[in-house]
Amino acid sequence: MPSFSARTLLAASLLALVVVPAHAQKKGGTLTYTFHPEPTAMSTISTTAVPVALIATKIYESLLEYEGAGMKPVPGLAESWTVSKDQKTYTFKLRKGVTWHDGKPFTSADVKFSIEKVVTPFHSRGKTYFGEVAAIETPDALTVIFKLKQPVPYFMRAFQAGESPLMPRHGFSDEEIATGKIRTAKIMQNPVGTGPFKLKEWKKGSHIILERNPAYWKPGRPYLDQVILRVLPDGSARAIAVEKGEVDLAPMSGLPPAEIQRLGKLPTMVASQDGNDGLGPIMWLEVNNRSKPLSDVRVRQAMSLAIDRRKLVDVIWYGQGKPASGPIVSGNPNHFDKSLKPLEHDVAKANKLLDDAGYKRGANGVRFKLSQNFLPYGEEWVRQAEYLKQEFRKVGIEVETQSLDMGGWLKRIYTEWDYDFTSNFTHNYSDPTIGVQRAFISTNIKRGATFSNSMDYVNENLDALLKKAALLEDGPARAKVWAEVQSILRRDMPVIFLIEMSYSHIWNKRVHGLITNGISMYSGWDGVWVD
Amino acid sequence: MNKGTVLFVGRRLLQLVPVVLAIAALNFVLIKMAPGDAADILAGQMGHATLEFTEELRREFGLDLPLIEQFFTYISRLATLDLGVSVIQQQPVLDLILDRLPATLLLMVTAIAVAIASGVSLGVVAARRQGGWVDNVISVVALLVYATPAFWLGLMLIVFFSIQLDLLPSGGMMRIGVSQSPLALALDVARHLVLPALTLGLFYAAIYARLMRASMLEVYGQDFITTARAKGLPERAVAWSHAARNALLPVVTLAGMQIGHMLGGSILIETVFGWPGLGRLVFDALQQRDLNLLLGILFVSSVVVVLANLVVDLLYGLLDPRITHK
Repeated sequence: MPSFSARTLLAASLLALVVVPAHAQKKGGTLTYTFHPEPTAMSTISTTAVPVALIATKIYESLLEYEGAGMKPVPGLAESWTVSKDQKTYTFKLRKGVTWHDGKPFTSADVKFSIEKVVTPFHSRGKTYFGEVAAIETPDALTVIFKLKQPVPYFMRAFQAGESPLMPRHGFSDEEIATGKIRTAKIMQNPVGTGPFKLKEWKKGSHIILERNPAYWKPGRPYLDQVILRVLPDGSARAIAVEKGEVDLAPMSGLPPAEIQRLGKLPTMVASQDGNDGLGPIMWLEVNNRSKPLSDVRVRQAMSLAIDRRKLVDVIWYGQGKPASGPIVSGNPNHFDKSLKPLEHDVAKANKLLDDAGYKRGANGVRFKLSQNFLPYGEEWVRQAEYLKQEFRKVGIEVETQSLDMGGWLKRIYTEWDYDFTSNFTHNYSDPTIGVQRAFISTNIKRGATFSNSMDYVNENLDALLKKAALLEDGPARAKVWAEVQSILRRDMPVIFLIEMSYSHIWNKRVHGLITNGISMYSGWDGVWVD
Repeated sequence: MNKGTVLFVGRRLLQLVPVVLAIAALNFVLIKMAPGDAADILAGQMGHATLEFTEELRREFGLDLPLIEQFFTYISRLATLDLGVSVIQQQPVLDLILDRLPATLLLMVTAIAVAIASGVSLGVVAARRQGGWVDNVISVVALLVYATPAFWLGLMLIVFFSIQLDLLPSGGMMRIGVSQSPLALALDVARHLVLPALTLGLFYAAIYARLMRASMLEVYGQDFITTARAKGLPERAVAWSHAARNALLPVVTLAGMQIGHMLGGSILIETVFGWPGLGRLVFDALQQRDLNLLLGILFVSSVVVVLANLVVDLLYGLLDPRITHK
């Protein structure tokens, strides 16, 4: 009964949120957080990179808010909504009396403008969410109607602050709109939103100060007077600042894993891996399926069998995350197939598979050689590459590791397709049609498209299932399709699934109310308070 | 300033033009040789960007144009001192640089002051007590500091002064989010400056101490020192007024040459201490293939280095009036 257990999980997680700790919320105070790199913009229209999403979601809002790990939509700027029976018309009633940070009223015209002129063309997932929108109607200042060409099952998830930030029409000049210079518009650096905080100061290379929006529409909120981002480029220096209490929070694995483990043990600190289910980061080895020996499914299966994922999590990632069992993270209550067993670690079986595939060991014990790249995101990725090299040697695969920086890596993997395998990670987001389909559907074998199907994996049956899932409403039927997708991908292993990563957040115990839903760090933080 | 000096300064400033153009051309070629461009990076950061989206970015940034056209566009803009817009940060490059330059200059000037003041004094003291225990201690410590990686020294200073003693802040340039009077702000910045300036300055202090010592010993062997001593001048005056002033010339020469080097060193120091200067901007620009920003920073820093060397040349004349600029 997958739907029952999914609902139970959702209910449990909601309950956990309702049970507020014994502390009383306190108004006032400052929350200082640190993250590197420094944001390059104040809006996810410019880029959806983590540092930008962290700060922009305090300033901008979308129509809805979301609760719990299952990301249940709840009223936000829209206080109610109706969906037509054919799932093709969504009518939102906007909250009365909401104002922009500059005091002007927020209206349905702003919503229409934002989605049509800003989000759809310029947000990196704009066309994914709103590509099927045929028309947006605004019969009055507080009503917005989306008319879709065909049903989009994840449409209600589109209205997250980071995914479809609403911006004031009056914040853009006519020239900026006419020439499509949205991403360079002045408002991108001097944001005007409806969110709980507004930009007070941005000293590049040093800090950003957000201050309370006194006219915020939720009565009594936000609790905090200020949210400050401190820019500290060095990982050890960030850890020291957190340890000394100069910084209250390092979100989204913003410290080196060893430091998170060390600081998490201090009595003044809380280390948590909660509040990320709406993102669902998953790590895999992306394998080039184009040529021998990697085009042979048995070889890929053998590589999967050679890896001890538990050890990987415990040793390389300091216990942060858990072994992956497929393309969808187990924290996703609606789409993860709970009957899946962990992926096996069995060296003998791996050796047998390779023998059967005809790749006998040579005199030096080597069957064949492969080159390995790794995601250039820090030391752990290098160590993981070293670890994998050792594991693959045990089954007779000699691995040579190559190091590239981000620009070089992207080019090698997604434009040149000139690689054997590389570590990589992507986000499930709250719906696998957004996060998972992209990497495996064969129509996404496109030279130069980043984080696409670089493997050259073509499976028509899977393509059909992915297309089917994209149109089904969430429920048992859709869950069944996704279960089938997971089973096919586990068998074909176009990529070798490694770890359900976890973003670790570490904060000082004086901070409360941070974890609220599946995208807690990308929430507005209006309910966060400090002692 | 006499006519010779004015002409000298003018000539040196003119030399700036080809130097800076050559630097711009070289860097343009170098960064274009690196794989991937800013559109790739930006699309990569966004995770789920489509191919059309990446191509759109490339068009927007002018990265789809032929290389030679991009180059000439850049050079012709540079000729009018237009540094362009950072493709990643979407802001004028000049604004980004001017935002960061003061912090770097403050850090460097303080570090140079620390380095020269302590290096020169220690060098003179060591030379006066050549072979004695003071000389030996200074030489060994200088060697140790010289051999210590700056980032490690920085972290150790943080651990000691910031965590153990709780005397100084561990990073940043000032307290954030509090309003302070100008005087309190200056003191606050000074407190934040101590550790990074020491970390950056000590390495150079070690070099200057050793150089100054050697230079002093050489000067001590010259006739005018014997003359000064024969006149009955106290040893202290011989050392500081006569020997040190002459012995300083190699130190000043080296300091001038090392300003570019120091700018490079500040990348590391600014990273460790979260100092909001140019250093980190260079690193990020390189990583993100932010061509305009990188070229802009290199342009500004080459101007700074050339100007600093000009100042050094003018200092020669002050230290040794026999040197004139023709």
